[in-house]
Amino acid sequence: MVGEALKGHLDLLLLAVLADGPAHGYAVIEALRARSKGAFDLPEGTIYPALHRLEDQGLLKSTWSEDSARRKRIYQPTPKGQQALTTRQTEWKQFYKAINATVGI
Amino acid sequence: MTKQIETYLRALKRQLWWRGVFDADALAEAESHLLEAVEAGIRRGLSAEESERQALERFGSVKVVAFAFEKERNTLMQKLLLAIAGLAGLFSVYVDSRPHWDDTGLLAAGLLLVSGLLTLLGHRRPWLIALAIGIWIPMYEIYLSRDFKFLVILLIPFLGAYVGWLAQLGIRKVFHPA
Repeated sequence: MVGEALKGHLDLLLLAVLADGPAHGYAVIEALRARSKGAFDLPEGTIYPALHRLEDQGLLKSTWSEDSARRKRIYQPTPKGQQALTTRQTEWKQFYKAINATVGI
Repeated sequence: MTKQIETYLRALKRQLWWRGVFDADALAEAESHLLEAVEAGIRRGLSAEESERQALERFGSVKVVAFAFEKERNTLMQKLLLAIAGLAGLFSVYVDSRPHWDDTGLLAAGLLLVSGLLTLLGHRRPWLIALAIGIWIPMYEIYLSRDFKFLVILLIPFLGAYVGWLAQLGIRKVFHPA
């Protein structure tokens, strides 16, 4: 249930996690899981297409890091991505206020 | 890399290929992710085998992951195939409008083959491919003659596109049954 609901807001969540600093896919997924206390538990492999799409849209940029023993693709938000995050955060606040008001929470 | 992960990555590569997603970086990322997840599991005290099993389970089945890539990434391929269809359609009307061109059979076969090929290659909307290829000649003929019977020409690319699409579905079913 949470996984299904999450799909519609994945872009916002990924941008929010990466706003804290550049990270590779595995770290992004770990952060998503930790911040949601395990509630956001999508198949991990499905996060990568979303990251690639955000990069195609110019909201993220990536570089391959050779620093560690293993090659890692590090993602970080572009200025356009940071702007998109601000916009989506505002939209989300309006959305949940409206939902809360409607269902009486 | 372990046998289990190697097998998974090979299967993922095949699935992506069949779905028209050609991305070596995606596979390199998947490999890096899985190896890191296995190492993390071992650090948590799991056996290597159990850690691998859990890492693969959490990553998602090959089909689920490949489908996610297809959904997100294949739009470029879809646009490219549609653009080729449009260009082929424009070329067909150019050929048809030449004063000395009278080989209607060859043109019809061309429309049939190209529309079939484009859906066989992976376009998911046969009706759109058929229209993109086939609408131009009827429009040109209707413009010249004001006779709408030329719309019947559309049947040729529609036939080709749907045959190609069904063949594509059949191939996927045979090689990768759901």
